[in-house]
Amino acid sequence: MRNFFIILIMKILHLGLKICGKNGGNFLGKIAYKWNSKIFKYFKINSPIIAVTATNGKTMTNNAIGYALKQAGKKVVSNAEGNNMETGILSTFLKNCTLFGKIKADYIVLEVDEGYVPVVFKDLPLDTLVVLDFFRDQLDRNGEVESLILKINEFLKTYNGNLVLNNDDPNVARLGLANPNNENVYYFSVEKYEYATKEQKEAGEGKFCPFCNTRLEYEYYQYSHIGKFKCPNCNYGDNEIYKLATDVNLKARTFKVDDVTYKIRFNSIYNIYNLTAVITVLSLYNIDTNIVKEALSKFKLDNGRLEELNIKNVPTIINLAKNPTGSNVSLRILNEDDDEKELLFVLNDNIADGFDVSWIWDINFDNLNNVSRIITSGTRAYDIAIRIKTSGFDASKIEPYLNLHEAVKNLYKTDVKKYVIANYTSLQPTRKEILEINKEK
Amino acid sequence: MKELNILYLYPDILELYGDFGNIQVLKYRLEKRAIKANVTPYSIGNDAPNFSDYDLVFAGGGADQEQGILSKDLVNYKENIKEAINNGVFFLLICGAYQLFGKYYKDAEGDIIPGLSIFDYYTEALNDRKKRCIGNIVLNCNLNGKETKVIGFENHGGQTFDIEAPFGDVLYGNGNKFGDTKEGFFLKNVIATYLHGPLLSKNPDVSDYIIKYCLDRKYNEDIVLEPLDDTFENLCRKQLLDRFLKAENN
Repeated sequence: MRNFFIILIMKILHLGLKICGKNGGNFLGKIAYKWNSKIFKYFKINSPIIAVTATNGKTMTNNAIGYALKQAGKKVVSNAEGNNMETGILSTFLKNCTLFGKIKADYIVLEVDEGYVPVVFKDLPLDTLVVLDFFRDQLDRNGEVESLILKINEFLKTYNGNLVLNNDDPNVARLGLANPNNENVYYFSVEKYEYATKEQKEAGEGKFCPFCNTRLEYEYYQYSHIGKFKCPNCNYGDNEIYKLATDVNLKARTFKVDDVTYKIRFNSIYNIYNLTAVITVLSLYNIDTNIVKEALSKFKLDNGRLEELNIKNVPTIINLAKNPTGSNVSLRILNEDDDEKELLFVLNDNIADGFDVSWIWDINFDNLNNVSRIITSGTRAYDIAIRIKTSGFDASKIEPYLNLHEAVKNLYKTDVKKYVIANYTSLQPTRKEILEINKEK
Repeated sequence: MKELNILYLYPDILELYGDFGNIQVLKYRLEKRAIKANVTPYSIGNDAPNFSDYDLVFAGGGADQEQGILSKDLVNYKENIKEAINNGVFFLLICGAYQLFGKYYKDAEGDIIPGLSIFDYYTEALNDRKKRCIGNIVLNCNLNGKETKVIGFENHGGQTFDIEAPFGDVLYGNGNKFGDTKEGFFLKNVIATYLHGPLLSKNPDVSDYIIKYCLDRKYNEDIVLEPLDDTFENLCRKQLLDRFLKAENN
């Protein structure tokens, strides 16, 4: 009875928010969770739950799965706006359930914060879990990556559902052994791409075998520590691959899986991994390949994640980068583009960003390809300017502005192509300032 | 052409908090002054280095698990390292490396990981793993008579005791222990500290103290370093000192 009233009140609140034109984020979930932290048990769910977790790529992968399922005519409930902790997921449920807690959907697709997987799925049935990658991320807030992985590993020991794992991340593939009795473990991988390297180019984790502490051997690195690895001592890493992406062509924006060519809207190796995970999941639910192909050819994100804009006829690419790997991936895209360009890097150190900005020294700014000017901004504009200067980029071509409006105004003084990298709390304000430029006469 | 030989310990393991930036800053400030920086990495499995062959030895902080793996390797060089320190080789040790050079590290479970015992201090983690000294930190340091404020970021669970000569007085942040007034350990040729940031990125005075020390020792002179364009560093320092020290006074 109590849960019925909680839902009733939340429904009324939701209606109120809607009338005011507000989405509410995780507001509803926050209140409901406070009233009853076991409320997850109350929901009547008859559809499979698919969850995506990772350090980077959760939103894109989650939304692409949801988008493709919808294209296949399925009814999907998803936290597409990215509220991925227990209260955010609860909000999604509250908005989409009947007064009796029934969620009418063919599929529930959720992105889940990597620290919250065991919390959210304590009382919820999970059908498929996708794990993409683990990178160092806001160490002062999240702690070291290892403790995070151990928590998920513990949860997986008793999990028997589908487990979709990136076999090219040693810290992800190891989760496949958490429950040796789980027969539903599916590994995906991406064949060596054009810019893969013999030596690791960017900071990464997973240098030692998680089972025998031997140093792992890599045939190649795609980016960061993602690549083809093996433990020379215990052979860890040598798994049977369920889906392998081949013929990656970032210029043409195509790749193949099972001899089907996918044309996509993204041009980064890191997206190829995300979308291969998407293809893996959809194949587990027997979604028609032609529908998947069509869906992936249309799917894009408009929230500053590799968003491509034209601002007063100046091509502009905006990407979120809240940790070294996110930034390094953005710089890879920049370096793989031979055109002349200018870079804007916005770095804040608000509470949601983490107060520690030393991670910017894990970004590889060496030998930037045809970058003629760099503008820095955010509350740590000078820190990032020092970082870039020290990497050897000509200091006279770096302009730091604490004020974001001024930074963006100066960025568009020229009509050279723009790359914009912004961290967590700076992304939306930066995007807004850039879109404002378009409105000016 | 003058040159400095730098030994960079475990670059692939002690690399969690961007401490590698210290090497980059040193290299940058040397090369801008037409001094060559020869950086030699050493890690597990490489040929044993002779520490006294170098002018400067650097080691940073790493993840707990990996730090355990390398401490067993480092112990092999205890006598060699002692000798180098007595010979006047400069040692810059950050966070985990700072702890490893002490007597021991007692972890949250109460297990003792022996250190190199080169210095007399020791470190004990609190029982509660979640309790860590985390945040921006500002010190007042005296480097060979020159007072300078040092800005960095601390993130450590270990509480370090029995420090005879600290690196600086804490103006903002914690220091060697929660709410401490002192931070780090300092000798003429040793800076051991919890400060990430990286330490040298925002503190040109500390970088130049180390560079001058190494050059004076190697070339037996009293060098006056050519000033560099530190516009960004000075702007950054002014901004952050205003922010942190004002927050402290309010």
